[in-house]
Amino acid sequence: MLSECFIASTLASSKAPASASLRDVGVCVHEFQPTLNLRSTFKKSSTAANCLAVSPSHVFAAQSEKAIVHVYSREKGNQEATVPFPERIRSIAVAGGKNGDVLVLGTEGGRLILWETCTGRQVATTASHLRPVTALVVDPNSNFILSGSSDASVHVWSLVDLLSFTKPPSGRDRQPPNSPIRTFSNHRAAITSIAVGHSAGRYNIAVSAAQDNTAIAWDYHTGRVLRTFLLPSSAISLALDPADRAFYVGYEDGSIQSIDFYKNQSIQHPLHDPSLQSTPSQPPAEDRWTPPSTDCGAAHALTLSYDGMTLLSGHQNGKVLSWAVGRKKYASTAADYTHPVTNLFMLPPNGIPHPSLDLKRVAHTIIKPRYDHTLSESSQAAGTVPADYTFSTHLLPSISNSDTAKTDEFTAAFSHAYFPESMLEEGLAELAAFDQSGSNGASVSSIGRGISDEELAAKDSQISQLEEQLAMLKKKSSINETARQSTTEEVTQLRSDLANLHDYVNELHEKQAQAQREKVLRQARKEERETRRREAWFAAEKKGKKGDAVLRKMDAEDTVMTSDTDDQSSDDQ
Amino acid sequence: MAYMSMSLHAVNHRLTNVPVKHLPHFASSIATSISNCGELLSTPQSQKAGKADSDNAVQVHKLMTRLGSLLQDRTYEGRWTAIVLVKALVEAGQWEILRGCEPFVRGLISILAKSDPVSTKKMCIITLARIFHLTYQYPTLVREITTPALPGFITAALNLISVKPSSEPIRRLKPNTPFVEVVLQAFGELIARHPTIFRPFTSQIHSILQTIIGSTSPTFPEPVLDIAQKLFISLHNCAPKNTGGEEWKSACRMTITSVHAASSYVLRAILEQWESVDPSLRQMSQPQNYSQEVGNGPDALGLSSWQGLNAGVNRLVVLLRMLSGFVGTATASTVTIPVGAILDLTARLNMVTVPSGDSDIQANPQIGRAEREHLLTELPRIHVACIKLLLHLVNALETSAISVAQTILEQALWIFRAEKFNREVRTAVYDLVSVLLTQIGPSMTKQSVSSLTGIIRTSCHDLLPPTGNQAAAVDKPDPKSKNKSNQTTVNADSFLNPGLKQVRQTSSSSSFPCLKRAASELLVAALAHAPTEFISPALRAEIDRTIILTSDKNAMLSSVLNPFPAMQGRGVGTSILPFLARSYPAETEVECLIRPRMPVLMNAPATNGFAPIDEDEDDEVETATAPQPAPAASGFLKNTPTPSLHHDMMDVEVTPRPTLQSKRSYTEDVEAPASAPAPAPAAPTFPSPGSQSKKARFEPETAPQPALDAASPATFTGTAAISVPSSSIAGPTPVATSKPTISSAKQPSALQSTSTTEAAEDDSDDEMPSLNIDPDTDDEEDDE
Repeated sequence: MLSECFIASTLASSKAPASASLRDVGVCVHEFQPTLNLRSTFKKSSTAANCLAVSPSHVFAAQSEKAIVHVYSREKGNQEATVPFPERIRSIAVAGGKNGDVLVLGTEGGRLILWETCTGRQVATTASHLRPVTALVVDPNSNFILSGSSDASVHVWSLVDLLSFTKPPSGRDRQPPNSPIRTFSNHRAAITSIAVGHSAGRYNIAVSAAQDNTAIAWDYHTGRVLRTFLLPSSAISLALDPADRAFYVGYEDGSIQSIDFYKNQSIQHPLHDPSLQSTPSQPPAEDRWTPPSTDCGAAHALTLSYDGMTLLSGHQNGKVLSWAVGRKKYASTAADYTHPVTNLFMLPPNGIPHPSLDLKRVAHTIIKPRYDHTLSESSQAAGTVPADYTFSTHLLPSISNSDTAKTDEFTAAFSHAYFPESMLEEGLAELAAFDQSGSNGASVSSIGRGISDEELAAKDSQISQLEEQLAMLKKKSSINETARQSTTEEVTQLRSDLANLHDYVNELHEKQAQAQREKVLRQARKEERETRRREAWFAAEKKGKKGDAVLRKMDAEDTVMTSDTDDQSSDDQ
Repeated sequence: MAYMSMSLHAVNHRLTNVPVKHLPHFASSIATSISNCGELLSTPQSQKAGKADSDNAVQVHKLMTRLGSLLQDRTYEGRWTAIVLVKALVEAGQWEILRGCEPFVRGLISILAKSDPVSTKKMCIITLARIFHLTYQYPTLVREITTPALPGFITAALNLISVKPSSEPIRRLKPNTPFVEVVLQAFGELIARHPTIFRPFTSQIHSILQTIIGSTSPTFPEPVLDIAQKLFISLHNCAPKNTGGEEWKSACRMTITSVHAASSYVLRAILEQWESVDPSLRQMSQPQNYSQEVGNGPDALGLSSWQGLNAGVNRLVVLLRMLSGFVGTATASTVTIPVGAILDLTARLNMVTVPSGDSDIQANPQIGRAEREHLLTELPRIHVACIKLLLHLVNALETSAISVAQTILEQALWIFRAEKFNREVRTAVYDLVSVLLTQIGPSMTKQSVSSLTGIIRTSCHDLLPPTGNQAAAVDKPDPKSKNKSNQTTVNADSFLNPGLKQVRQTSSSSSFPCLKRAASELLVAALAHAPTEFISPALRAEIDRTIILTSDKNAMLSSVLNPFPAMQGRGVGTSILPFLARSYPAETEVECLIRPRMPVLMNAPATNGFAPIDEDEDDEVETATAPQPAPAASGFLKNTPTPSLHHDMMDVEVTPRPTLQSKRSYTEDVEAPASAPAPAPAAPTFPSPGSQSKKARFEPETAPQPALDAASPATFTGTAAISVPSSSIAGPTPVATSKPTISSAKQPSALQSTSTTEAAEDDSDDEMPSLNIDPDTDDEEDDE
């Protein structure tokens, strides 16, 4: 259910509230849309202007004329703690983005106290303001604090510098630690209210109103004045349009004025038009909206609805008036709390899903500020985080965790309408495999032979085909193997044959050589015999004997001698 | 409904007539039919009065019975199909089906004990977890179904992955079981919702998780480890009443102690400079036996011992990841995150870095060089885990991290300086620094910003396509000047086909997407959050060059929105807006940057007496108003339409606010500027301001055009003239003072470009009835 609420706090007064439900009540949570009714109340609180701060889990109410802050738990709807401080608190604000974990307190003495509500750490600044700190705002980045004081100056503080354990390298070394980084001193009288723009960028603006009847829009990153507005009287409350197009001021007499930045038709952003920055401008009196009756008293607090079209103002007579921004006039009375309404906060509407604004953690209880020395400044070695610095919070399950963006199989299946296709296929494959192994064993249910029978048959045939092929391949390979073996054997055989033949050839060669030799020898012997016979014939002839007879005798001797050699030579031929 | 009952019939028919053996092939289509019947299935029984409805009830009943019997079927196929269909049925039927799913749950749990295939059991576990998950929101169903059945499921699931020695409250993990991941996932999903039912099983689950997390030699795959760690952290949900926070805290503390213990051994090769801020940790270090191989016995978490440096580093990384899990996982109640102790731990690990130019480490003389060098090569892995831990911490604390952000940033810088050669280290550091920049960027000092120079510059290098080839190509023209030895090392490929080079460049730019994404996000964060005046001009030029070359839209937008501030005597602050306009002419962001429609028209309540307009005109107006905000440059507190939250979404009985007023208000707006400051050429031409004003806006279209043309030829004015919002914001620059002439010349034309389309629309609306303006609003308009 879409609903929008506002929180109002009152300053205790002598008047008795009209209804019993409002007795003792100091802070009210009031439903604004769709129907106006009181949602819940927190009792026993009396706050001055700028002394109420709201975080998603808690409401902090600095008590007027006291050095006490009441902490109410929004979850439980009760007062959770009463936190004492050394000085009276004149203004408070919540820092720390959407979680609101840091409470900034402006004291009577002109210093700021920062309290980390989740750790209990507390840091105090120098007393840079000469008078009480009456207005406090924190910029949307939670990086800067703007504090206005009745000494007419606005200080800009770096929240990071104030809270950081390790001081950044000597950037602002000329100043003492924990002092403001910038001072805006264009106002001439006490600051009554400050509003800060809604941009997270570096061109964000701040608007401050003071008792010198001026409101100044300026750039708190540089301290440069963007525009000065001369107001008909002293503004005591401020509210900025959600898109920073205009701001609204509330006056002592209960009237409201809207001040539109975009008056003239300039294509340049009018606040950043240098030609206009030096000249103060006076908003037309027609933009001043008059209250329905003169007795409603000063407009202490202003707040705008989520769509920026309805302005709520809290008045001295306890009424919360609702104004139509478009029509620039009073619309209705939203509530009546009898006591002066000093603070008004429009809460963000619930019912609009907004992932980036969803809280990732919530602090159910606050940790009271601790005064022990381990956590206070300068007792530790510079720049180290003490070991007992702990942070109490409840981490909430986040819907879209950026880390686990990669969705695994389980989460995919878990949130699927049945099961993801990949998983089903995997299952089917496994079933099929199971079926194969199972059906070979036993239970082949012969009941169902339907459509997938052919499929199965086809598969079977395919498998058998494959097996056949396999067998064939095996056979082939074995044949190949044997063939290869036989060829190698053959080759070795041939090799050995070749070697044998070589040997044989060598042998023959030797024999031939020997035969040659013998032949030569025989020739020689023959010749020798010839010569001997001839000599013997000649000798016989000389002697007068018959040569032939001698020869014959010699021949007979030779045949006996050479009979074996002749055999040999006949073999040789 | 008719279709649904028909498809339900079909489902039942198929379920009963198709042989069970073949059902799996139909499971998918049957499941789809069932999920399409969601409306019918979830209709409460009591409302089914008519005859057709009673038939539907019979069909639903039939389906449930059939599935119940299929779950008990003796074939695997039947059971498998039943699981798929039961899941589809409970998803579609919600409460109506869930209340009757008790027999399903029993059947599913019994399947877990059977010898079904792995996928059947996995799907069975998922279905059961889903049923328990869905019943959670209905207390009666939790009482009837979840509470009695969940213990049986837990036991069955545990039996799947482990064996329980009798009479001991611990379990031993089965080796190589495929169910570990799915079982742990299911437990992780259920444990936070049903802590009391899980309570008797905590010690058993704990012992299993210890085995998984502590295993070093056969490490489990990453997803299993992740879910085991998550479950380990979630075990604190089961702690008895109100002690969950304590349990979480002690588990977290023990993890930190374990990391300290393990790192004392892992880092023994070097003498650590670190001194704990926690006095109790200072005396912790015990003498070690340096002669043995590095190793550690069972630690505070009860994880098994490890041996060897590799196992030790694995253990460290696993424990650091677990610590990240502690700060990143939802808790049961308020817990105390020990920020100080975690930072102390990371300081210890991050202080030991790979020695680089300026930093060196002190070696432990008792340890050999081999182990030290091994340790140094493993250091980046440890540091990546550390940086991811810090990233998780910052993400958990968000804005509350600003008190420790500076400390974290310094640690990241130590690592980056020494180990930027490692790609994972770079990616992790980029991620961490960009998150830190969003938290503390705006209030950074000049020194802090300049300390980031190195990181930003490296990220530019990572984004740009590699320049190695180009360098080689540049060398090519004068090879003579190179000495011979150098020439031999030149990449020969670069002399070859230059087309090849381009292919390679595109392929390399697609590699390491994580690194690219991290680097690009860092640039965006640096431009958007760090004070631009502290970024040195040279660095800024490098950033701009990089983002132009990579066509990074987000970074270009950040650059344009955060221009470099103009300096005295430096001339014009340049903007890369033209590049943005060229690269993304059709993007919405670019459109609203270049042609702003600020301030948009605002709504008016309805009571200012406009004549009512009939319905069809209303429609026409609604379509016409959408693109109209542009000419609204005249004060925004006009009676104009914005979608009214109250009107559209809340059921309010406030005064009726017909949006049909918008047309009126629009013409009013047109009228007002026309009568007062109005573009000069237009003003005198029209006699009656009513309808003529539209024409008047139309005419200047041609008139001021030359003015812009005349201005544009000058080189810079082209950009300056376009960058209306950004450059005008940039402050009092020398140009800004001289510029009014240009901007005034271009003003009408800028308006013009946007108003051309509207002019046409205006004409179509001309036959509107004449205005019946409420006197007091009318006065206000006129006075402006």
